[in-house]
Amino acid sequence: MPYFHQSVCISPQNSFPETDLSRIRESKNNWLEATEPDYPGIPAAVKRRMGKSVRMAVGASIPLLKKFPPPDGMVIATANGGMEDCIRFLNQIHEYKEGLLTPGSFVQSTSNAAAAQIAILTKNHNYNITHVHRGLAFENALLDVVMLLKENPQAGYLLGSTDEISAYNYNIDRIAGWFRDEPVLNTGLFEKPAKGTIAGEGAFMVWMNNERTAAQAEMMAVKTIHTVDPGLVLKTMEKFLSENLPSGETPDLVLTGENGDIRMAPYIDIVESYFNESVPVARFKHFCGEYCTASSFACWLAIQIVQCGFVPPLLIKKKGSRSSCKRILIYNNYRDIQHAFILISAVERV
Amino acid sequence: MSRIFITGMGLISAIGDSVEENRDSLINEHCGIGHIRFYKTAYAGKLPTAEVKHTTDELNKKLFGTPDPSVTRTSLLALHAAGEAIRDSQLASKEISSAETALVGASTVGGMCLTDELYHDARARDGGTPYLSSYDYASVTLAIRERYGILGETATINTACSSSANAIIYGARLIRHGFAKRAIVGGADSLAKFTINGFNALNILSSKICAPFDRDRSGLNLGEGAAFLVLEKEEDLNGKKTYAELTGFGNKNDAYHASSNSPEGQGPYLSMMEALESSGLGPQDISYINAHGTGTENNDETESRAMLRLFDQVPPFSSTKSLTGHTLGAAGAMEAVFAIQSLVYQEMYPSLSFQHPIPETGLVPVLHYTRHFIRHVMSNSFGFGGNCSTLIFSKS
Repeated sequence: MPYFHQSVCISPQNSFPETDLSRIRESKNNWLEATEPDYPGIPAAVKRRMGKSVRMAVGASIPLLKKFPPPDGMVIATANGGMEDCIRFLNQIHEYKEGLLTPGSFVQSTSNAAAAQIAILTKNHNYNITHVHRGLAFENALLDVVMLLKENPQAGYLLGSTDEISAYNYNIDRIAGWFRDEPVLNTGLFEKPAKGTIAGEGAFMVWMNNERTAAQAEMMAVKTIHTVDPGLVLKTMEKFLSENLPSGETPDLVLTGENGDIRMAPYIDIVESYFNESVPVARFKHFCGEYCTASSFACWLAIQIVQCGFVPPLLIKKKGSRSSCKRILIYNNYRDIQHAFILISAVERV
Repeated sequence: MSRIFITGMGLISAIGDSVEENRDSLINEHCGIGHIRFYKTAYAGKLPTAEVKHTTDELNKKLFGTPDPSVTRTSLLALHAAGEAIRDSQLASKEISSAETALVGASTVGGMCLTDELYHDARARDGGTPYLSSYDYASVTLAIRERYGILGETATINTACSSSANAIIYGARLIRHGFAKRAIVGGADSLAKFTINGFNALNILSSKICAPFDRDRSGLNLGEGAAFLVLEKEEDLNGKKTYAELTGFGNKNDAYHASSNSPEGQGPYLSMMEALESSGLGPQDISYINAHGTGTENNDETESRAMLRLFDQVPPFSSTKSLTGHTLGAAGAMEAVFAIQSLVYQEMYPSLSFQHPIPETGLVPVLHYTRHFIRHVMSNSFGFGGNCSTLIFSKS
């Protein structure tokens, strides 16, 4: 059975180096920007060349690479990689009319740059892959590691995600209608549902293997589907739960990717209303904002929650009456069509 | 562990619109590399590239009848190749759309082929082009998903120039682990201002037609295209025709530099080695190699060194990039199709523009179309970021 061990999450909230989920940092101009540490582990010359998404990913991986043996593979999720670098290079192309350009931004913008940098810094020749399937990139990376741990039961893997906000891509998504036109604070994101949400970013890195000893959480199952039919989302969830939970049992917490965009509400509603009053419901996007790999932030939250058995009040939408919190169902939705379920459980101590 | 077979293939490139047209061009040494005609760049007339010989409008009309303005050239190429592969597999449309069908795409350019439109939309106050949701890599896979209503596992991979080799590996693993009954796997990339300027800034584009493995090679030529394959497991075949079996694969990292291979080709060596180990074969069992062979100084020498280390006697090898150009995210799947064709027809394809071997390694590729006994064939794909992948196909 795959387990989550130590993890690092660089987010807009207080998640690294210290974790404090009792307070919430506010968004500015509909952005929730990640708060970065100094990254003492990254050589200065290397750090200078890195864009934010690569820097966050490498920075988050360093504490884990120091603690654990060399990973048997690294599996990274990022929908877009270095968007700032991509646009910087695009600007160069226009500004210099395709003249002599410097390749730095081009190389940094490729979405496998984070996985590549980690491999280079640690001279690691093992399995190395970057999943980029938009709002399901993280779930695919997670499934990849689940398969790897079946193929190589003794192995240990680095799983991670990273995505950054860039002004230009924010603009593209804004005109496409995915972000709020009017200013809204993350703390008031759910007050007045409207079209669009706020932007976020972050990186998550976790060590995974099949060892229960010292594990922080158990990875039970993951399932994704593309559909715009809320009924099919419900059917997929029912099947997913019946395959992965003992018959008749429900999760102790449902953690949803509700983001204040009314277009996502039908899916969130159908998932929430499936469970009886005893099951508490929490949400996370007012903490991390919306981005393609935001569900990795939920995964990090779930790992924290099952360890202490306590849901930070700022996350709670509906209280429920469960006395413990051992099994968490994460439901995320990315722009209507991409849906994902992840089941995470506390580690059974024997 | 299920054995994985290839039951359908589709391909579009500078040397043809179908798997068969591509084979004809390979046999007849029809090189697809030439002057830039179809996309706008200051390098037209200066840097040769391998374009698919249709305008984007033509591709759009062919596929959609009434052109869909939000579909990019990269997605159109992907739809074209995936369509051929799906028809070829003779799977019913209900089977294709079922939750048991996985779709794994790969791209390194995605919708950024529309470099100018992206530049515009990044600055627009409102309005924008029809492409607002089509710039990312996943847009390519999502276009196929939408056309066929696929409900199974869907993924997109970007490991630079080895992307679609990894899509094939990921699809095979999804089947073996029971997450899918069958998988449609492949990749697509189209030519873009973005990539031609990026590779040119790295000084690895040749102003001449590329000459893989030649002493005087001066860089690569970018190409475009798409290739998709249908994978099914042995238990489900029921006597169906198969082209080949995917018997081995390797994914390793060179862990040396962001945009060049280590001098001794450690990543390429390890990925070929892992592919052999996973197939249970020895180096002597490989009959033929479709090499990565980009025509850059760095790749061809380091790939040669890796082959020399792994094989006592290096098997015949060619670089079909000398005809198709380097199609980046499509290259792994495209060359997998060529490797499979060589198994099916027991033949080897030419590596063009070669004159003198690299003095340090002395290797000479296959220079002309040659009939040859082929039992197991290897296909290499190496990318920026050290991402090296190798596939082995065997006669079914």
